Parts: sequence; C-alpha cells; structure tokens
Amino acid sequence: MISSVNPAVKMVAIIIPGVLLSFSFDIFTPLTYLIFIVAFTFLFSSIPVKKWLLVFTPFVFLALGFAWMTTLYTSDSFSGGRVLFEFWWFEITTGGVMVGISLALRSLCFVALSLMFILTTDSTKFMLSLMQQFKLPPKLTYGILAGYRFLPTFKHEFEVLRQAHRIRGVGRAKGVKGRLRQFRRYAIPLMANAIRKAERVAIAMESKGFTGSHDRTHYHHMSVGKKDWVFFASIVGTFFLVVFTSYQLGYLNIFGRQF
Amino acid sequence: MKKRLPNQIPAVQKQPALIRTENLSFDYEKKQSEPLINDVSFSLEEGEVTLLTGASGSGKSTISLCLNGLYPEAVEGYAEGTVYYRGEDISRFEKGVLNQKIGIVFQDPESQFCMVTVENELAFTMENLKVPRKVMAERMDAVLEVTGLTEVKYRAIHELSGGQKQKVALASVLLMEPELLILDEPTANLDPVSSLEFIQLVTKLQQERKMAVLVIEHQLDDWMPYIHRVLALNKHGKLIADGPRDNVFTEYKETLTEEGIHLPKAIQKNTQKLGGQTPQFLEPALSISNLSFKRKDRTILEDLTMTLHKGEFVAVAGENGAGKSTLLQLMAGILSPHKGTITFQDAPLKKWREEELRKHMGFVFQNPEHQFITDTVYDELSFGMKLNGTPEEEMKEKVTELLGHFQLEGHRWNNPFSLSGGQKRRLSVATMLDETPDVLLFDEPTFGQDAKTTDELMSIVLDLKAKGTTIVFVTHDMDLIDQYCETVFVLDKGNLAFSGTPEQLWDKESLLKQARLRLPYRVRQLKEEGDVYDLVR
Repeated sequence: MISSVNPAVKMVAIIIPGVLLSFSFDIFTPLTYLIFIVAFTFLFSSIPVKKWLLVFTPFVFLALGFAWMTTLYTSDSFSGGRVLFEFWWFEITTGGVMVGISLALRSLCFVALSLMFILTTDSTKFMLSLMQQFKLPPKLTYGILAGYRFLPTFKHEFEVLRQAHRIRGVGRAKGVKGRLRQFRRYAIPLMANAIRKAERVAIAMESKGFTGSHDRTHYHHMSVGKKDWVFFASIVGTFFLVVFTSYQLGYLNIFGRQF
Repeated sequence: MKKRLPNQIPAVQKQPALIRTENLSFDYEKKQSEPLINDVSFSLEEGEVTLLTGASGSGKSTISLCLNGLYPEAVEGYAEGTVYYRGEDISRFEKGVLNQKIGIVFQDPESQFCMVTVENELAFTMENLKVPRKVMAERMDAVLEVTGLTEVKYRAIHELSGGQKQKVALASVLLMEPELLILDEPTANLDPVSSLEFIQLVTKLQQERKMAVLVIEHQLDDWMPYIHRVLALNKHGKLIADGPRDNVFTEYKETLTEEGIHLPKAIQKNTQKLGGQTPQFLEPALSISNLSFKRKDRTILEDLTMTLHKGEFVAVAGENGAGKSTLLQLMAGILSPHKGTITFQDAPLKKWREEELRKHMGFVFQNPEHQFITDTVYDELSFGMKLNGTPEEEMKEKVTELLGHFQLEGHRWNNPFSLSGGQKRRLSVATMLDETPDVLLFDEPTFGQDAKTTDELMSIVLDLKAKGTTIVFVTHDMDLIDQYCETVFVLDKGNLAFSGTPEQLWDKESLLKQARLRLPYRVRQLKEEGDVYDLVR
C-alpha cells in the first residue's frame, strides 16, 4: 500500500519523474506514464475513485486550456509540420497540436503524481519523516505542524470579524480604494491575534521541554525499509522504462530534438 | 454535606523552598522606573497549593513564565533579581531542564498544542524528555487513564470539547512528573460543570502526588477549600499580600477590593439577589417563533420559541456548543434562520433595513478587538454617528459624554488596540451606544475579567436597562445570572430546555445536570445550611 510508504522516500520518488518529464515534448512518453501512474494509484491505495476524480477533473479542463493556448502560440522551433487549418491570423500546424497535447498530458502527470502523494500521506508523518530521514531541524518541522493547526481557527476568526464589522455598520466595500481599506481593517486584528497565538503556542511548546535540538526520542519511528525501495524503484524505474521504449519506437522528443 | 478542610500546611522545613524569588522585576521593554513586575519576593513550598491573584494586567501570567526560566529569554525582556529552584539559581540550569520540573496549563485551549491528535501531542512531550520509545506507550496509557481520556486517545484535539482539551493539556504536563504545576486560568473558557470537573481532577491528583500547585484564577470559589496560601499582586506589579488563605482574605479584604480583585463569595456579604420581586414585563421587544438553524446538515438549533420584553435582563445559558452564540447571531440578524421567524418591534427581522436595524440593536462580541475599525478611540466612538449623518457639533458633544461616562477621557487619541483589557471592553460597549439601543446583545462579556471590570460593566448595563433597553447575556457565570437576570433560557443540544426565572431554574436539578450547569454559590450555600438544619432536627 502506498499510504504505508515512508513519506520522505515517497516525495523523492515523485519529484524525480516529475522534474524529468518536463523535458519530453512528445505525446507517447507522458501518456504512457500517466496511464501507469493512474493504474498504480488505484491498484495500491484505497483512495475512493469518486474522491480522486473530484480533485482530478478540474485539472483536466485546466490542462485543455494550456493545450489550446500552446497550440495557438507555439514557438517557431516547434510549429513545423503540415498546416491543418487557419482562422483569423492563426495557423494551426501539426507540430503545434503535438506540443499542445504533450503539455496537457505532462500537466496531468504532475497532477496524478501529486494526488498520489497528497491523498496517501499523513501530514504529521510527513513532517516526522522529513525530520528523521532528511534531518530537517525540529524547530522547523514542529513549527509547520503547529501552524497547520491554525488554519481552521483562522477561517473562523475571519468570519467573526466580518460579522462584528457588519454590526458596526460597515457596508460591503465598493471600488478598489474601499476594498484596500477593508483589507487593512481585517488584516490588523487578524495579524495581531495570529501573532499572539503563535507566541502562546511557542511558549506552551517550550514549557513542555521542547528545545529544538535533534537530541530527542521518537514515538513514531520513521524507518526506510525494503517496501520503500520497491516503491521507489517502481515509480522511478518505470519512468526510465517508458522513456527507453519511447526512444526505441522513435517517439522520444526532448526539447524539440527528435531521437 | 460536610465542609472540606484544607490539608495541614506542611511544617516549616529546613531544606530550601521549592521556588524562591528574590527581588524579581521584569518588563517586556527596557528597564523602566516602574516595571510590569516590581521587586517581588516570595516562596512556593513543596506540596502546597498557592493561589496567585491580582487585577487584569497585573502580571500574574508573566510571573509564572519567569519561574520556569522561559522569561526573560523568550521575549528578550528585562529582568532583575533571582529565582531559585531548591536553592539553586535557575539561570544555571541547562535549557529545557527546568521546564520539566515545572508544568504549565494555559488559559486558552486553542493555542497550547502543536500536534493534531491526542496521542501525538502526548508523544511530543515524552520525546522532548527523551523518554525511551519502549516505555512511551505504557506511560501514555497510564496518564490517559488518570485523566479519563482513554477513549479519545486517537481523536483530533480540535474536535474535543473545551473541558477535554484542558485535560489533554494537563495530561501532557503530568507526563513530565512536574514538582510544581502552574495553572493559568485553566477553566476560564469552560462551562460550569466542566470547570468543576477539572478542578476536582487537579485537586485529587495534587493530594495523591503531593506536588506543589500554583493557581492563577479570578473565579476562586471552587478552589477555596484546597488552597493553603494566597499571593496577591497589585496593578503596579507589587506583591501586596502573602499569607495563609484565611488571613489574607480577612486582613487584606479592603486592599484587595480596592485593587479590583475578586474575593471569594464566602467572604463577600453582598451576594443577595438584587431587587427582589420580579417585575412584570408586558411589552415584547423581540419574539422568536419556531426557529431552526442548520449548519451543513447539522442541526444547531431546533424549533425555538421565546419572547424577550422591553427592559428585561435575559441570560442564555448552556453547555459549550449548545448553540448559544448562534442564537445570539440570529437575534442580531447576522445569520438567517432556516425555518421560523424573528419579530423585532412588530416587523420581521428580514424586513428591517440594515442601517435602521443597527441603530436599534447592538451586539458586543466576546473579543472586543474584533469590533474596532478605526485608529483612534475618538473615531471609534463617532463612527456610527458619521454614518448616520449626525451634525459635527452634536457628535463632538456626544463623544465627550461617552468618553466621560466610560472613563476613557485620557485616551481620546489612543489606538483602540493599545488600551488595557478593561478599557477595550468598555470601548466596545460604548461604540454601541451612540443612540440608546432597544436591544443589546452580549456574547460572554465577563469572561476573563477582573472584579472591577465586571462591576463597571454591570453598572453600565443596569443603567441601560433602566432606560428600557432589553439586555441579553450569553454566559457561563451562574452567579451573575442569579444576581442580575430576570429571565433565563437554557439551551441543551439545540433545544430550548428551560425558560423562566432563575429561581425556578435552581429548583430543576436534573435539568441543570443535563445542561452541564450548576447552582450559583448563594443557592448552594442555602442548600448546605438547609441540610445541616435538617440533620440537627
């Protein structure tokens, strides 16, 4: 199961293909890899399909938007090939369409990889793992965790503030100037409270003996085992396999250079 | 019921005190002629329960953080004098070591945790102490058992009730096996029963483990039987009283009252009910019928029907999360009901024009800072009048009058955020009074306030009431309800469980228990005397 993989290893396993993918400008490579990632996600995790689709679908539209824009404005080095059709002053070429579709597929690959990480990783364990595997300072990781707890209270406070101002007779702001002033009115009390709360949490943490030093024991021991390496090898290995196949079949295109 | 007597005060020992401060001074800024904490010397003995009291802003919380060495370092403040732990200067301790001997439970349940679940929060403390992983689970289960939290081990802290959160805070501090436990107004945010439960838990643990406890608290009554010694600070951060409990409250009674410090009810004489006969109210001001409110499919309020009258003082009570604040927001028209109607002066609330409604109805929020929208006290007070187009001359006159009435003359051009707690509270009420409102709603206005601020607020409120304003208080303070209110509405899980006079409510014991409310001190006292009388007979 993906959710039991060490979060730090998982992160690296996802960043490597994520970065390398951005160099491939053909269709075959990102398409094959996308199919693999989606299949892998559903085979080895218990994410409900519905939930996944709910997050994924908006990105499909975004990707289509990217593709369309890139097709219209392909840079000269890529816009070779036959002219498919023309309208106004646009010329749609096969090269342009290829680059557009490739971009869309690459974006979807990033989304699928990110979802695989986000939907299977517990934020607390992720931080603990960054601390234990990558030796991130405890001050930073526990700071992030404490901040994470604030998000819901922040929203609540904003709501209360809006009500309080309405009671005072402050109407909805009109125009840019009014909005700026309204933003300032909200920002000061929100910031004042956030700083005060952060200070309190910091004091509470220190009073429980937190010093920020690495010299501490761990309740959740985040280990890196065989399973983690198998996961790493599958994700990264498959990526190179896909690139190699693409090369063999003659599809591979890196920065516009066909291999 | 037999009155509990405190344990005998431990005899004077030869060994040094657990904590001893000598001429301690502290301020957040550079050295000043009159620092926040001014030349304070006292000691805390082992196994003793000490109460630290003082008006708001007298530096009580600050002292507690000086004791475990977090201040002045954490805030780069200025400090003078010495604090000794068992005779050893605390500045010689390595960082983090002393913190483990002194545990603190803070006031705000929202801002003393850094992890999401109870389990991880408790683990955090043990990791700091470098407890070996093998014994962590065992120690965690033991402390969960002691604090009665076993069932919520894997729950997220933010989903728990206020009382449970404070118990989690206590549990994580107990893991350190502290020799001194500091409680900084730990029950200020809790409903009456949760508050009592917390106090009973702490005192039980104190008697079992014989640790020293320093309690900082405004509401003294429930702690009184367990307290051995009392320390009191005045507004200038000087120690004005230090001695055994009963001596301090009798000998220094006048000084403490002058300082605006709450005295225990047992010593106050004037806890009698004001007025006496409940007047008859005829003219309705605000009526609610069959009101329901939902938040994301969750029913918050269900089928409420009630009427508030002109000049009536109404309290809304109930457990945390029973829907009290929501009801208040519905009354003010800042939330709209899903079902039912609210009628304010013969017209449904939704038919009211926003500006008109705001002139006739005021709302004072729990945190006064939320209501401030301008940069000076003057602008704050004149804001509503400017919106209404009041002529300049009249406005100046009215603002001056309000400044006088609320004792804010000297702060006319100050920024509202720079005022003290009591001044902020007064200003937040004053901003609602540019025109005398017909209904004034308060969301927990006395929470965390010292006696003086509370008294000032109550006299302003009674003044308004005399002018015919309907007052609504959402509050946990049963004594306040007993003393001032004419009508009480009790909410229990979104339903109206009771409406009537306080006297009628005090007779319904099972209802009080179900809604997690308690009898006020006066009535408890009467019942106790009654019981004794019965026994004698």
